[in-house]
Formats: sequence, C-alpha cells, structure tokens
Amino acid sequence: MAEKVAVVAFKLACAPDLHTTRERLVFNLTRGLFDELGIDRHAIDSFVMNSNDFLDGRTISTVFLDAPSGAYLKDETKVEMDGVHAVMYGWMRIMSGQYETALVVSLALTGSQVSPYVYTQYSLSPAYERQVGLLNELSGAALQAKAYLSRRGYSEELLDLVAAKDLELAAKNPRQIRRLENAGVERVRSSGPTYEPLRELHCYPPTDAGCVVLLASEKKAAELTDKPVWIKGFGSSIDTYFFGERDLTRSPSAADAAKRAFSMAGLTDPAREIDFAEISALYAHEEPLLAESMGLLPEGEAEKAYRAGDTRPGGSLPINPSGGSLGAHAPCVGGLMRLCEAVLQLRGEAGDLQLDGARTALVHGQDGICAQQNGVVILGV
Amino acid sequence: MRNVGIVGVGYCPRFVSKRTDVCIPEMVSEAVEAAFADCGLGPEDIDAVIFGNMHPFEGVNMPHLWAVEHMRALGKPVMRIATGGTTGMTAFHAAYYHIVSGLHDVVMVVTFEKHSEGDAQVGLLGIITPEAMAMMMAGIDLTGAGGMGAQGGGSAGAITYQAVSWMHKSGATIDHIDAIAAMERRNAARNPYAHLKDPEATPEKIAKTPMISYPVRFGHVCPTTDGATVCILASEERAAKIADKVAWVWGVASCASDPTTGNLIEGLITDPAEQRQCVIAAQEAYKRAGIEDPKKEIDYVEIYNGFAHQTLMYLELVGMCEVGEAHKLLEKGELEISGRLPVNASGGVVSTNAIGTSALNRVTECALQIMGKAGERQVEKEVHKALAHGWGGLMQYVSITILADKPKKL
Amino acid sequence: MEAEKLEFFNPKVPLDFQYNNRVGIGIERYLRGLGERKILGSKCPQCGKVAVPPRTVCGKCSATMGEFVEVSQEGTLENFTVGHVQLVKGQRLEKAESPYVVGLVRLDGVDSLLLARISGVDPSDLKVGMRVKAVWRDEVQGDYADLDHFQPA
Repeated sequence: MAEKVAVVAFKLACAPDLHTTRERLVFNLTRGLFDELGIDRHAIDSFVMNSNDFLDGRTISTVFLDAPSGAYLKDETKVEMDGVHAVMYGWMRIMSGQYETALVVSLALTGSQVSPYVYTQYSLSPAYERQVGLLNELSGAALQAKAYLSRRGYSEELLDLVAAKDLELAAKNPRQIRRLENAGVERVRSSGPTYEPLRELHCYPPTDAGCVVLLASEKKAAELTDKPVWIKGFGSSIDTYFFGERDLTRSPSAADAAKRAFSMAGLTDPAREIDFAEISALYAHEEPLLAESMGLLPEGEAEKAYRAGDTRPGGSLPINPSGGSLGAHAPCVGGLMRLCEAVLQLRGEAGDLQLDGARTALVHGQDGICAQQNGVVILGV
Repeated sequence: MRNVGIVGVGYCPRFVSKRTDVCIPEMVSEAVEAAFADCGLGPEDIDAVIFGNMHPFEGVNMPHLWAVEHMRALGKPVMRIATGGTTGMTAFHAAYYHIVSGLHDVVMVVTFEKHSEGDAQVGLLGIITPEAMAMMMAGIDLTGAGGMGAQGGGSAGAITYQAVSWMHKSGATIDHIDAIAAMERRNAARNPYAHLKDPEATPEKIAKTPMISYPVRFGHVCPTTDGATVCILASEERAAKIADKVAWVWGVASCASDPTTGNLIEGLITDPAEQRQCVIAAQEAYKRAGIEDPKKEIDYVEIYNGFAHQTLMYLELVGMCEVGEAHKLLEKGELEISGRLPVNASGGVVSTNAIGTSALNRVTECALQIMGKAGERQVEKEVHKALAHGWGGLMQYVSITILADKPKKL
Repeated sequence: MEAEKLEFFNPKVPLDFQYNNRVGIGIERYLRGLGERKILGSKCPQCGKVAVPPRTVCGKCSATMGEFVEVSQEGTLENFTVGHVQLVKGQRLEKAESPYVVGLVRLDGVDSLLLARISGVDPSDLKVGMRVKAVWRDEVQGDYADLDHFQPA
C-alpha cells in the first residue's frame, strides 16, 4: 500500500478562446502529457474526470471524453465540482492500494462556448433565489466585499491593491489570459463598476481551460519524475446555502478545510510553515478574506499586510504569486490551475515568477456563491 | 487496506412518479432521516458525505450546495460524484475509497432523482444535443443510415439494437423478455420502495403492452421515478460498534468503454450487447473480492436493468451463467425469490428508476438481503455473498460491487 | 500550451429546457403568506431561531423546523450594493438601464437576513442601519413578486 502520493506531471491550457472542441482539448492534453513522460495510456490505472454537465450543455459531460482521454476500457469516475476535490479522490484511490496512478482530467470552455455564470446561477434554488432574481455570483460577491471591508475596518482601496498585485503578476505569467500593461491600482480603479464596490478588474475573466494532472504512488512516482511534488494533506468543508444566514465577513468552511489539511500535513504553525498560497479568489476581496479564514493572515491585519507588500513575492507570505484567479479562472479547472502554478513553484520552474526557497504550498479551490464550499490541498517537496 | 461495511440504509418513504409535496432538499432529508433511524447514528457521527444525482434532470447544478442543511452536512467534507446511470454506485465507491484509504471512518452516501421536475427524455437526449444540432445544421439525416437519433439517449433507441443483438447471441426470444419483466413486476409488489408493482403480472399481460420498437415493449421499460436513497458505510472497527448486522464490501470495480454511438463521423458503431467493460469490471471485482467461481460463490444478484432484457444479458456478462443460459434459468424458475439464483427481488430498475438512486439501490438491496432485513422480498435461500451491478452513459459505463456477510480476510 | 487555431462548425443549440420544480413545504407556506400580505418564517424548536423564507431543517442544530410564524414587515438595512450590471437569463452580463439597489434586511425578530430590492430612496442617501419597511404590490397573487421592495420607514 502506498505511503504517499505525488503530483508527477500536468498539462494546462488556458485562453479566452481555445478554438477547440472538448474532445480535441482532452486528447491534446493527455497525449501531450503521455508523450512528455514517454508513457502511454496503459500507465494510467484510474481516471478521475472533472467537468460539469451545465458547463457542457450535455447530460453526462464525460460521455464522449473517455476515448480521447485514454480511459477506454479503464477504470473511470467523475468528480463534478472544483478540481481540487478530484485530486483528493485520486489520492484516496492510490492510498487504497488498488491503483498506482490516477489521472485527473478537467475542462470548462467558459471563455468561448458557455457562460461561466451558468455554473453558480443553476446551483441556486429554483424554488426561491432563481425566482426572486436578486442573487447571482456578482451581487453576492459585492455584498460580501462590503460586509467584509466594513467589519474589518478596511478601506475600499484594499480591493484595488489586491487586484493590482495579482494583475501585475498575471502580466508576467504566460499561463494567464488577462495580461495587462500598466496593471496598477489606477488601471483597476478606472475599470467599470459591476456591483459596488466591485469593478470589472476585481472579477475573474471568463476563461476556456483544460487541465490534466497525473498522480502516482511513491514507488511509481520515482519511475516517472525526478521532481515529485507530494500531497501532504487536504481538507474540504461546506457552509450554509442560505445567503441571509451566512456570516459574509469570514469563511467558516475555508477555515475548516484548512484546519483539516494542516492537521493531515502535520503543520502546527501554518502561517510560518507555508511558504506561499495559491488561492482561488474569484473576486478581489476573497483573497484576503480566505487568507484570514485559513489562518494565513491575522484577522484585521490584511490591509496592513497588503500595503506593506507582505503578500507579494519576497514578502513574508506570498499569496497568488502566479497572479491568481483574476488572471484566468474557469469552474472545475480553477483549483487545478492554482495547483499547477504551485507545482511549478515547488519544482523551481516558475520562471520570472519563481520564489526563493518555496517548499510548502497551500492550494485552494471553491464552489458556490461566495465560496460556499472550499477545498484545500497542501503540497510539499 | 482495511475492511469497510454498510451499517445503515435509508429510503424516502415512497418511490412514485411525482412527489409534488416536497422540494428536492426536503425529499433528500427524508432518506437521510431514515438512514439515521436505521443504524442509530446522527449527523455528528458522519465524517464525510458523498452526493450523487444527474442534475440536468432537475435543472439544479450541484444540488448538494442547496441541500446541505437538509442532508445534515454543514461543515463536513462533501464530494459530488456523477457518472450517469452508474452514479449511485460510483458515489458508493467514492465512500468506500474515503474509508479504505484510511482518511475517514463513517461516510454517508446521498443520492436522489426527482424526474417529475424535468423531462427525462429531454434530459437523456441532452447527451447528444450538441452533436445532433451540428449534424442537422450540416444537413446530415439523423434518422438515416447513421441512425444518430435512434442511437442516442432518449431510452429505447440503442437499447433495441442491444436487445436484438443479445437475443441473437443467446438464443432467447421476446417471450423471455416478457417473462423476466413479469417476474420483476411481481417482485416489486413485495417491495414498499418500488414504483411499478403488479402482484398479478404474467408474461401474457406484459406481451399485451404496446410495442415501442422491436423487441422492446412498453412493459419492458423502466418508469421515471421520484426518490432518494441514503447508505452509511463504516470502517471495520466502527461498524462493529454501530450495527449488529453489517454487509461487508469485498470488491468494487468500474470500467468505461466508448459510447454506443461509436465514432459518428467514421460511422463505427459498437455492438451495444458486447459490453466488454462489464466483463472487465466484473472480473476485477471478483479478483479483489478473492472470488474464483462466481457461479458457486455468489448467492444473490441485483442487476441494473433499465430494460427488462438486461437482467438476463448482464447475468451472462458478469459470469453468473454462460451466454445463452440466463433465459433457461428463468424458464426453470431459478431466478425467482424462491429460486436457486434469485435476481432483483426488489423489482429492479425496470420497476423503479430514480436514476441517481438506481445503481445505489442495487447495492443497498444486496445489503438488506445479506443483513436479512429485506422484509417480504427477502429471498428464501441464505445470502452470504451478493453482487450489485450498474450501467450508465450511452451504455458505456459499468460498475460492480460485491458484498458479503463477513469481513474480508486481509 | 499554445492552442492550435482551428475553425470548427459552431452549432447554436436552441433548446430551452423547461423544468417543473416543486417549491416544497417551506416555500409553499411562504407564498400562501405573501398572498395574504404576510411574511412567514420557520422557527427552530431547538434553538428558537427564526428563518425567512421558511424551510424545514435548521442547519445549526439539524432539527426539523415545523412551526411557521408570521414576522414583522419592518426591519433594519444591514448591507446593500448598487448594481450597475444585470445578469440576463443568468448568463450574459449587460449594463443595467439604471443603477438599482439590492439590500440585506434584518426583519425585526428574525435571525436571518432577507435579500430584497430597496427603492424609493436615492442610493447616495442609503445607510447601513437605517429602518426600512416592506412595500407590497397593489394586488397580491401569492407569488414571489407580491413583496415588491423595501423602502425607508
């Protein structure tokens, strides 16, 4: 039975429009990964698909993806939520001792083919929220941003600081799709309003994305890579659905998920032990809010930390050194995009964005309005 | 590796065409409460929850987000699994992996479908909608030689080809399909959680139902049902403390093939009765369960049969008899509740089909038979080991679960 | 990975799926209440919390909420946002014809916040903590739209 599980390799594709079909995208990603590793599909014991019927406009979104992914006559299942949960399931399958490898196959063509908002809009109750019509992921995010800033006593400028920090980094990251010149506070502040206090550049850009991530047992990982990145721990949790009952100023489920992940990874002082975090913050306020809830920043200190540059590369705890979800985000794939960026950092392959001495990373993915459900993975080398 | 057992099963009080009195979370809540009552556990005992259904049927994306309070899952890890018809069983397998990996001790599987809130045929056609639209706009005849319209979802399309192909291979006739359908409707009459029940069903009565497309008659086809099923699993140490009677998981396996529509552009169509993925999944499950001769070792089988001929076809494919033998066992009465190899004492999917629950119900029905808690539908012979089967997608996914009355020797 | 640029045949899928969702026990009572110009909530028998709109399970203590209570039609504005965009059919983000206010109102005696449209006041005059009251449409029909908006009390 496996002692530990590694992320061995990945392939990621992001664009506003990938000019492709789901089948071709999945084929290119898996084939590319196999060629790079010099393996074929028979090296994969278990396929964990990760997509969503509503994003595909198709009942059973994986129905035509088994052949292009190489899952033909193989073990296959599907986790239909953010991709970090598919990685957790892959870990469990390998740790059961019944599989040596698991391939997570994730996609969402929400830049060019389907609106990304479908994902949350159709998750609302058809018996109430959808009929009343006031709640959507943007109005919910705006109310959360206001509640959070006012409770913590932060200025609205914090949103601009977060977005500017992320977009400046995203501009240097070839995997991001929103690469702006002069992506500073001024540029963010001059973008159009959506729901106050949020502006266009505080929100993630609709993105076409596909990602495959290969997990392997310790033994198998040694055959496949010189640079394994270990899954040290993970956790998941969920908050109440009822918007009017949520304490919007913090995320209890992100806190629970992180606690579970820290405990599994044996971290006792995560804010010090974690070298950087890749957080799925779809709206600017979510980055400090989630970081506080997960115990990475002390509650009430976020504005100070952002102003001091603590969350920038070189700071005491870099958050989203890749540029984060404001640079590119798609449902399902979102958490895996963060995971891939963390893997590159931990392998020392992050190019212009490389941090010094990055050995332990926190990766986060979310689902639902205002991140109702959260998943956290701790990676390490 | 450690042992995992089923300690509790909960169904919503009735599986019917339309539950107009409750919304989705309220119906889910009924089954969760029933499962807690069955094993004496409460929300605080559950470490994690697996949730499964086919959400395009109700138009609610990831309904676990809406139903989190109703399934008593606040603050717990919740994982959504969806694989089409096999969803109930792949969700069950996910719960198994949550425990066997050492991560959690007690995990609850929640499944439902509420077909009355959408149109199941439209939902099934949704599987091929993008392709069908492209073909229509390009001027390709959907009803012509390619047979895309018939091959797609929408129930009795590809199924008719499957039934004909299987009859050709096995030597069975349409009379056998009438007979197995009648047996399952009679069995369903003993199951309080079945939908279509007829204690007086006979092959002759089934034969009088309208022909949909040869050889599939109306009486061979599953209904669309509203219902919810919950199953609670526990690690060996915990299971012993929770329940007197436990159904132990000995082996699980799944396998995917390509859709029966095959490669549309090149016109390659898979024989929908071949089902190599079923043979592979069953062999793998036997291997993991340490079963060498399923014909001798398995006492009871639940087959996922959206269409009546599938009970017989899949019995052959999972290796419970030789090809061409299943309909002979049926003729001899061996598949009946009183028989030597009882199958689908629950009435099967052909009598009750709330899709998200259907593959899980195959597992829970096997578990109840092993625990001796199946009530009027309890089979006469003793059940020590049982096999549950599920299929889904465009007939391309098969999942298998093997349960036993004792923990597996590790 | 650099995407290959390929042109594909892009079918428009005109199907508009119709659903027939049931509102269930809690919302059915709520809608009947609206038809009588009443706002109903559900009360938890265990922790005593009152939730609007009503539902059948209390998340905090997992108890079944069977008691439906009429609540006050006045309350406090706890939070609000001014919308400059709207999500058309839940998909397309378009500029709103004019800015509009969505607020979270704590009705007196209720433990949850109610998401509601706030009208009858210039957005720049809105303040968190201000008192607001429910405004009904002229003829109530037992429908969601009966409770039209809230305005300063």
